[in-house]
Amino acid sequence: MQPVRATFEKRRRAKYISHLDLMRCMQRAFKRAGVPVWYTEGFNPHIYLMFPLALSLGYESGCECMDFRIDGDMTPQEAMERLNRALPPDLQLLKIAEPVRKHTDIAAADYVIMLDCAADTSAEALRQAWDRFIAQPEILVEKKTKRGMSEVDVKAQAQITGTETADNALCLRLRMPAGTSVNVNPSLLTDAFIAWLPSNAPEVHTGMMHAERTAILCADGTDFI
Amino acid sequence: MQLFDQIEPLLLQVQKPARYIGGEMGSIMKNPADIKARFAFCFPDRYDVGMSNLGMKILYSCINARPEYWCERVFAPDEDFEALMRTHHLPLYGLESLEPIRDADFIGFTLGYELCYTNILNMLDLAGVPIRQCDRGEKIAPIVCAGGSCCCNPEPIADFFDLFFLGEGEELDLEVMDLYVKMRDAGATRSEFLRAAAQIEGVYVPSFYDVTYNDDGTVRAVTPKDGAPATVRKRIISDFDKCPAPEEFVVPFSEIVHDRAVTEVLRGCLRGCRFCQAGFLYRPFREKSPETICEQSRKLIDNTGYDELSLCSLSTSDHSQIEEMMDGLLTFTEDAHINLSLPSLRVDNFSSGLMNRLRRVRSSGLTFAPEAGTQRLRDVINKNVTEEELMRTCKIAFNAGQTSVKLYFMMGLPTETDDDIRGIIELAQKVVDLFYEGERRPKGKPVQISCSVATFVPKPFTPFEFHPQDTREMIAHKQKILEDAVSGHKRIRASWHFPDTSILEAVLARGDRRLCDVIYGAWKRGCIMDAWSEHFHYDRWLDAFAEAGLNVEFYANRERSYEEVFPWDHIDYYVDKQFLIRENEKAKQAQTTQHCRLSCANCGVIKKTGKPCFSYSKQ
Repeated sequence: MQPVRATFEKRRRAKYISHLDLMRCMQRAFKRAGVPVWYTEGFNPHIYLMFPLALSLGYESGCECMDFRIDGDMTPQEAMERLNRALPPDLQLLKIAEPVRKHTDIAAADYVIMLDCAADTSAEALRQAWDRFIAQPEILVEKKTKRGMSEVDVKAQAQITGTETADNALCLRLRMPAGTSVNVNPSLLTDAFIAWLPSNAPEVHTGMMHAERTAILCADGTDFI
Repeated sequence: MQLFDQIEPLLLQVQKPARYIGGEMGSIMKNPADIKARFAFCFPDRYDVGMSNLGMKILYSCINARPEYWCERVFAPDEDFEALMRTHHLPLYGLESLEPIRDADFIGFTLGYELCYTNILNMLDLAGVPIRQCDRGEKIAPIVCAGGSCCCNPEPIADFFDLFFLGEGEELDLEVMDLYVKMRDAGATRSEFLRAAAQIEGVYVPSFYDVTYNDDGTVRAVTPKDGAPATVRKRIISDFDKCPAPEEFVVPFSEIVHDRAVTEVLRGCLRGCRFCQAGFLYRPFREKSPETICEQSRKLIDNTGYDELSLCSLSTSDHSQIEEMMDGLLTFTEDAHINLSLPSLRVDNFSSGLMNRLRRVRSSGLTFAPEAGTQRLRDVINKNVTEEELMRTCKIAFNAGQTSVKLYFMMGLPTETDDDIRGIIELAQKVVDLFYEGERRPKGKPVQISCSVATFVPKPFTPFEFHPQDTREMIAHKQKILEDAVSGHKRIRASWHFPDTSILEAVLARGDRRLCDVIYGAWKRGCIMDAWSEHFHYDRWLDAFAEAGLNVEFYANRERSYEEVFPWDHIDYYVDKQFLIRENEKAKQAQTTQHCRLSCANCGVIKKTGKPCFSYSKQ
């Protein structure tokens, strides 16, 4: 039995697959692919499959992780090739290797978020609005937790690693806490910005948001592998 | 992919966006440049319902098996997405190409339920296609067509369609597409194409038939014109066992109603239950061989990755080789962690051999359909199930560890009395008693019997097509009797529904062409998704009836004479009206008719197919 960690991408049409649906989709892909995979033992055996960090609906990513165990005579490389034939083109495995880090090592994740400008707004105006928004001492948002709604300062949680304008859009690079104990969705910050805009920058309007996770990181700043 | 950028910004604003973007495993992508004709296959309900439909899966794979044709899936959007589509002027699109369906060659609806009719209008409107056939002009495309069981009486929706496919579509749909391509390439107009298509067996073009009415509102005559045949006979495929079944399904990302692999094991039904439209519409009875069933199931499981396989038919235990079939399936499903489920089992041939095989399958309980509470009424409807058989089957199930049984019944059946209604609960109580008499019952577990009681809807092509439906008041009275009868029975639960949807179903099922205006009027008043109680507005329907000068009672509650011309009399589903009359007379006397494997009731099928349905010598 061979534990493996696959890195996969989730793009275009596949970004609308919810986390729960992704689990089922991968289970079926294993069956279609004919990959000998380890089943859990017990009354209702199912394919053992672990996703260390869930990705929000609507986010693209090229760095998603999934752990499973090959239970038979097949190389990880062949398992990957078979799985890719059994998966839609927008959901493909990129690499497969033995897991190095533990799930609990995950500490942060990097995101790139593009906020399109509405027709009446320039990228520069949107950027200036963002600068004023983010200059606030604190940015309090409601966050859903297991114990109900609570208020958090999302600015204190977020690390902004880049603010650029490009192609009539504002491009934000964010590093957010991630992992099993604390996990902050960057949409909390961008949604707060979009909500803040009408009263504070009435002439500035946003369009579509494109969000992508670009890295899953450990506490020491290295990639989770 | 020009719509993709328009669709995307809307998706994160709606529930379950994966329903609107396609890209699922098994969805078939083709290069539009290679395609001669495109078929937008529309299911007039939500994705999660439509994606569960086996007929759609069969025809999707039949059409796509031809390299020059492309069949795409289209579903009715939920209200949140529909609102956004309308605000942003996003036309209804196919899930494969993400291109507007108004540019397709065929826009085909599958019609399995009368209460989806307003959704057809709404989808055509969202697509930007004229709703009435007469407004579509002479440009040949798109041809708006429909198939499915409701097409046995397509008159209430006749104004909205260019043509209907009657009966089985596996071969018929392709023949019509072939004709279309040939004629379109030769520059034919819409009516030229329809005139030629009307000559194909199984194609009904409603605009070629004039309907006149008597003073009392009944149909006087249906007169064909433009060379259309006087009666249109449904199509039957040439060889059911050899007919290709889908080896692949589109496997959805989001959960759907029936999220599993499905293999059709037999088509038609040999029972002749007099209330059951499917039992007459899908004749003759045909089986697939155990080898075919196993091979098709195995391919489907391999290609979809499903961990559940369901066998589909009107009555699976009527398969003459069910135990061989089960043994064949179990040999591979058990090793591959596949759950096997068998809906549609009958109580009169449920053997312990079958139970032993079923026991190896995880089961969430058993469901049986006695349909009526007393033997007299079961004889009237020709259910041919006795109380002893039900008890014997329940005993097998209880001995095998089952603690819950679901029973299906109807109310409002012809000749029904209050005693028949009370009989439902009496029968359920006998099942409860049987459980506590059992020696091998699981200790410490109570039994639970659920009785689900639906309102009977008389349907065309059944012996009860002549019968009035019970009025609202009669149904309310019977529901009260049922409620009183079940009170105090701790181990029995009874459920029933408000009858308004069943009344509308009865009207639309046996209605005539004048109802097109009612359906249009109801849709204009905001009626869609009528099958969903939260969307059903009976008052709006009544307003639409009033506006059209028609009333519900004429269609639902009127006894129809044997001499009356029915709106569907020019449609031929192989079953003779004289046979239906004979069966109705026997029903009045509570006389049963044997099932087709025991003796032939001369329903008309053999006369028209020229082939015996069974070789009796083998019995």
